[in-house]
Amino acid sequence: MADSQLAQRTRSTSSAGQIRPRFGWFTDRWIAISFLTPTMLLLLFISIFPLVWSLYLSFTDWSVIKDANTAPQWIGTANYFELLTDDRTWQRFVVTGQFVLPAVTIELLLGFGVALLLNRKFAGRGAIMTLLLIPMMLSPIVVALFWRFMMQGDGVLNYYAVNLFGIEPILWLSDRYVAPWSLVIVDVWMWTPFMMLISLAGLSAVPQYLYEAAAVDRAGTWFRFRHITLPMVMPLLLIAIIFRTMDAYKLFDQAVVLTGGGPGRFTQTASMYLYDVAFGQFNTGEGSALGYIMLIVITALANLLIRALNATKSA
Amino acid sequence: MADVRLINVSKRFGESKKNDAVMAVKDLDLDVTDGEFLVLLGPSGCGKTTTLRMVAGLERATSGEIFIGDRSVNDLPPGDRDIAFVFQFYALYPHLSVYDNISFPLRAQNMSKSEVDAQVQRVASRLKIEHILNRRPNRLPSGEQQRVALGRAMVRQPQVFLMDEPLTNLDASLRSEMRVELKHLQQELGTTMLYVTHDQVEAMSMSHRIAVMNLGVLQQVDTPLEIYNHPKTLFVATFIGSPPMNTVACTVVDGHYLQGIDNSFRLALDSSYTARLANVKEVVFGVRSEDVRLVNDDSAQLRGTVAVREPLGDETIYDMDMGQYRMAVKTPPRQMFRQGEQVGVAINPKRIHLFDRVTGQAV
Amino acid sequence: MTQQRESLTRLIGFWVLLGIVIFFFMFPLYWIAVSSIKTRAEVINRVPSYIPYAQFEPTLDNYTSVLLGTTIQSDTGVRASADLSIFRDRLMNSVIIAGSSTILAVILGTLAAYAVSRFHIRGESDLMFFILSTRMLPPIVVLIPIFLLFSNLNLRDSYPGIILLYTTVNLPFVVWMMKGFFDEIPVEYEEAAMIDGYSRLEAIWKIVIPEAIPAMAATAVFSAIVAWNEFVFANLLNRTYAATVPPWLNSIIGVGAVEWGRLAAASVIFVIPIVIFTFLVRNYLLRGVTFGAVRR
Repeated sequence: MADSQLAQRTRSTSSAGQIRPRFGWFTDRWIAISFLTPTMLLLLFISIFPLVWSLYLSFTDWSVIKDANTAPQWIGTANYFELLTDDRTWQRFVVTGQFVLPAVTIELLLGFGVALLLNRKFAGRGAIMTLLLIPMMLSPIVVALFWRFMMQGDGVLNYYAVNLFGIEPILWLSDRYVAPWSLVIVDVWMWTPFMMLISLAGLSAVPQYLYEAAAVDRAGTWFRFRHITLPMVMPLLLIAIIFRTMDAYKLFDQAVVLTGGGPGRFTQTASMYLYDVAFGQFNTGEGSALGYIMLIVITALANLLIRALNATKSA
Repeated sequence: MADVRLINVSKRFGESKKNDAVMAVKDLDLDVTDGEFLVLLGPSGCGKTTTLRMVAGLERATSGEIFIGDRSVNDLPPGDRDIAFVFQFYALYPHLSVYDNISFPLRAQNMSKSEVDAQVQRVASRLKIEHILNRRPNRLPSGEQQRVALGRAMVRQPQVFLMDEPLTNLDASLRSEMRVELKHLQQELGTTMLYVTHDQVEAMSMSHRIAVMNLGVLQQVDTPLEIYNHPKTLFVATFIGSPPMNTVACTVVDGHYLQGIDNSFRLALDSSYTARLANVKEVVFGVRSEDVRLVNDDSAQLRGTVAVREPLGDETIYDMDMGQYRMAVKTPPRQMFRQGEQVGVAINPKRIHLFDRVTGQAV
Repeated sequence: MTQQRESLTRLIGFWVLLGIVIFFFMFPLYWIAVSSIKTRAEVINRVPSYIPYAQFEPTLDNYTSVLLGTTIQSDTGVRASADLSIFRDRLMNSVIIAGSSTILAVILGTLAAYAVSRFHIRGESDLMFFILSTRMLPPIVVLIPIFLLFSNLNLRDSYPGIILLYTTVNLPFVVWMMKGFFDEIPVEYEEAAMIDGYSRLEAIWKIVIPEAIPAMAATAVFSAIVAWNEFVFANLLNRTYAATVPPWLNSIIGVGAVEWGRLAAASVIFVIPIVIFTFLVRNYLLRGVTFGAVRR
């Protein structure tokens, strides 16, 4: 009997990568289910369910504070209509875009550049790499607080601006043109290490012999970069861009602490506006609608980026 | 066209004071004559690839001098040495077309577009790859990729070709085809070629001379037949030849008798050997499998039992159990012996090899 | 230029560039660290100072005040000591909450990733995209429903509530990374074990998990960073009980003049556990990043 069982087991598993029965061993089904269930339950319950609830609320006129004891009142797409026709809404998205685009671009260029620098053996490389990762590990609150401290009118940065460079003190946080860039600077400071880490991972995966062939062929540095390095690192870079764009878009903690949306409303990103509507004005229904608009925008953007990613992978 | 000379070249990896420093190449002296096809042969880790890379400029020699033609090239970057290198994994630029891959080395020399095109076409037609000039290398089968790599090397018309195990990644039939082609190509072009491989069949069939290396040390440089028939060290003797040369450890007794250790056998040599064996006591006795015969008469000096029989068609290899040691014997196909049969083994006295057991040198 | 001269200028250029980069990233860190040992008066001094003993008198008062909750002499008024002892409690909560949710996320996520990788689930790529897409959500969108949900379930101001939340937040990342990892481990190892008589569970425990530990460690670092520093939900849900450090840090600024020195000390203390954790796992980080990211 042992023999036939073994024979049975051996038969039911076929060799690597080929068509194989889904559950070759009868306990597998249970294992698959029990492994997947906790994760799916958590995701459904804590991610999806609130999302659906939010969708429902977006079609209602309700305030979690004022109408706490009454049922939400269905008003159809009125919230959406009101938001989409309001200039302020678009203004916030513009502010968000004005933040995300420069921030991610600079992080990409700077992070990749630093990775190029670090992509060779030298003494202390591991230590330097770890040091450079620290900005990423700090709490965004802490980071924002301290940049705020440094960016004060009479803070460190201005001290050197005046005494070292001889220019007028810069209103980092209170000038409507400079403040958005302050947000960018802080984000760049915090997240360039992330881009650097991913770039470094990609760079170290390029086979050495390609560079050697280029050396024998007397290829210039530019050629090596453009035809060997860049194409091989591109897929990983795109993934990093996707992640960073999604995260920058969601940005809330840093912005709220650094500028609070000010001066006035010039640095109020979409996330901050949402917080304002939902918790400042307690307009839950409208807040939910705004949230969904944001979601649609980012999903569309992510889709575009992912398509670009697949395009480079198959090239 | 140029010759290549390595004078007392050594290569050390790692800091000399630390324990993990490795001498990859030790005091190598090698002369490759102009137009010669020389193969660096040896097992992995023997230093052959490191030597090739030093000639190419991809590694710097720790000590010694390297000359290509009249120039000492120790300090020259690879691009200035007028060499071409074919990598084991081809190293084709993945996002350039085959045409661009081949034409690329010419970009450094300000040629007109039509001239570049002419050169690329010339090389492509020689290698029969005109039909894939527009494709990307990573979509091509390895045989064609290899030709593209060759084309890229050929198009520059360098003074020396350097090749690092170019045929290793091809399947068997393609490999034998390419062996012939490469040999033919080199004869046609007349360019000096330095070729690295661990495959002795490649070495024997393609080269003018073979340089056998082991553990960073050059063992012997000679024509294939010389290496085969007169190996200078035990390593060379056992590395070249398939099946490997039969060896038995022995002591010299009474001037010209060999006694296998563990009393495995006793062999009487011609008295002329006494002079040769005057200074050694411990030897290794060697004889190739084709220099031994299975017989059933008195000419047999030894006796053994048939253990395994390998019928190869044009010949049969018998793995003989001789008691304390084993022997491989090649026989013509018609001779048949059964497994377990006791047969006599006759050794051709003119074809035996003796090596000092301590130094490995031929005696 | 000979090769020697060329490499010398390159070498110098390299170190100069590297120096500038390091300066840009390290300066604020140094500023925080050095601020944490300055007195209150020194911290707000218009003239910046950097070198302890040479340019200013360092003090450990900030650290003692933050950790021990003692009051400090200050000319603008004395902050109540009760306020400060909160930091210790919050720190402990952060450790418990971030630690538990990271462990939970890594375990559950790894198991789920294994299941998706090994047992070809119908609609596998869709499932993976779906899991990834939950990361695209601005948390603000689900802020209110979660608030309501947790209120109704009495999960507000509790440990389990926020631990489950952070676990869920980190799950997509863990699943994604570990699935890529499992895809690269040949099935043959487990099959050989199973033919030898082990059950699949035993095979997983004995063979797969030990292989997976480096990747799990790398994902654990990223998950831990997220949970450790999370602010929005912590601020909303756990205001009074089971509260973590980030909301506390934020709350300090609002009240009167900011105690920058003490804030710096608290920040330094807060970041150390993460730095230690990352340092311990640094060798796995590069590998952990590429798993699941690029399928060649």
